[in-house]
Amino acid sequence: MGASYSAISWNRQKKIYDWIIFSFCVIYLTTFILLTAIFNPNYTFETVLIRSTSTLAVLILHVILSIGPLTRINKRFFPLLYNRRHLGVTMFCIILVHGAFGILQFHSLGNVNPFVSLFTSNTHYGSVADFPFQALGFFALSIFFLMAITSHDFWLHNLSPKVWKTLHMFVYLAYFLVVMHVMLGVIQYETNPVFIIIMIIGAITLITLHLIAGTKEIRKDNIEYKLRQDGFVFVCEVNEIEESRAKIFCIDKERIAVYKHENKLYALHNVCKHQGGPLGEGKILDGCITCPWHGYQYLPQNGQSPPPFKEMVNTYDVKVNDNKVWLNPTPYPEGVERPGACIK
Amino acid sequence: MIKPLRKRHLQIWTTLAVLIPLGIILAWIAIPKQAKDKLLQPASTQAFPNVLASAEKDNYTVRVRSNNDTSQLQLEWINKKTLTYPTATIYWTTNDMKDDIDSASLIGRIEARGTYYFLFANNKDQIQIVAPKGFHFFVYDFIHQKVMDTITF
Repeated sequence: MGASYSAISWNRQKKIYDWIIFSFCVIYLTTFILLTAIFNPNYTFETVLIRSTSTLAVLILHVILSIGPLTRINKRFFPLLYNRRHLGVTMFCIILVHGAFGILQFHSLGNVNPFVSLFTSNTHYGSVADFPFQALGFFALSIFFLMAITSHDFWLHNLSPKVWKTLHMFVYLAYFLVVMHVMLGVIQYETNPVFIIIMIIGAITLITLHLIAGTKEIRKDNIEYKLRQDGFVFVCEVNEIEESRAKIFCIDKERIAVYKHENKLYALHNVCKHQGGPLGEGKILDGCITCPWHGYQYLPQNGQSPPPFKEMVNTYDVKVNDNKVWLNPTPYPEGVERPGACIK
Repeated sequence: MIKPLRKRHLQIWTTLAVLIPLGIILAWIAIPKQAKDKLLQPASTQAFPNVLASAEKDNYTVRVRSNNDTSQLQLEWINKKTLTYPTATIYWTTNDMKDDIDSASLIGRIEARGTYYFLFANNKDQIQIVAPKGFHFFVYDFIHQKVMDTITF
């Protein structure tokens, strides 16, 4: 969390994360160039650069898109989520090199503006084999560009979370465009089957991960809590909730996290105000509920972020009868203090 | 993640689960078996019956063919691998000492892998003069403005 905006709030974990990304990219590109020099010495440097950056970017894109569902399936992947945006910006930089050299190589030595040539040199939109695949790549690059320049929290707050999230959901369209850019581009010309195999494996992996994660989440949403009394719903036994941890319940429309802290139970809206992280999957540190995604914190008794921060979430009433936890799913406005339920 | 967003993700990925395999399969089916001739001159798609000369290289096989009465000559170019240079135009010259596009005849352009046929001579008298001297072709990349390869029979 930051009270003011800075370019990047560096900490040890971010530095390690970024060093790993940087090292991987350097090793990958160097290896690709060396192997090409050995096995295909006739390739020009521009061709090698275009191919190396494209394959690296596609690989990173698959990693980025798999992080989300992996964290839903197994919490051990949370550290990858923490700085996912750094991975995204890195991918954009790599793909920018690919796009720039592609335009230079194929469109810049004529008497037509290269960007005009990109769209006018091939207009066979009705053909599959001759489809102007470069245009697909251009549109994907444009989406990645918009995502990269708005990746900072500054834009999250100023565009509003809803607009920001909608913009960043376009990554899925960009992924589809990238797949078709590859399939209608290099695959049409390349004899080596490794490219198509990589794309198929990547697509199958992502689709499978997302569908598994999505199905798992829907099952959680569809659990019914039938025992109701005076507006309260019976959700679980007290001993099912660990100390300084929460259990999440989806009642009516949204998820509510019930925390156990210092012999009391508190209920807050499960969704973090920062980027929608699952507060209930975090833990209480120094008396504050801490979001597992990016570390945003909230006080359990009122759902407010500790000063000077201003984020707030809804609170709920919770009570304990005979070791049974009852939750009222009607939310209080954000930041309203509610007494916790004592555990006898 | 809020519930509407979870729902949106599931809808998107269900759609992609249909569109991506469909796109991959369509693109795979559309991979050309033989390169389409986007040539600088119209060319026949049938090989002439007589092979006058042949050369084998790592990336391509080149043959000079003629029709039955040797009134026409055809260059057969079989691209075995994807080109590693951005453009490849083929020139024919009778002067094998000099690969100069200004004095050579432009025959055509090759792009993707596949087989190309270029008619490069259709004057019987001319053929009778040049044929005994052998044939000399060169591949020119007009983006880098350099001769990439030469083939001499």
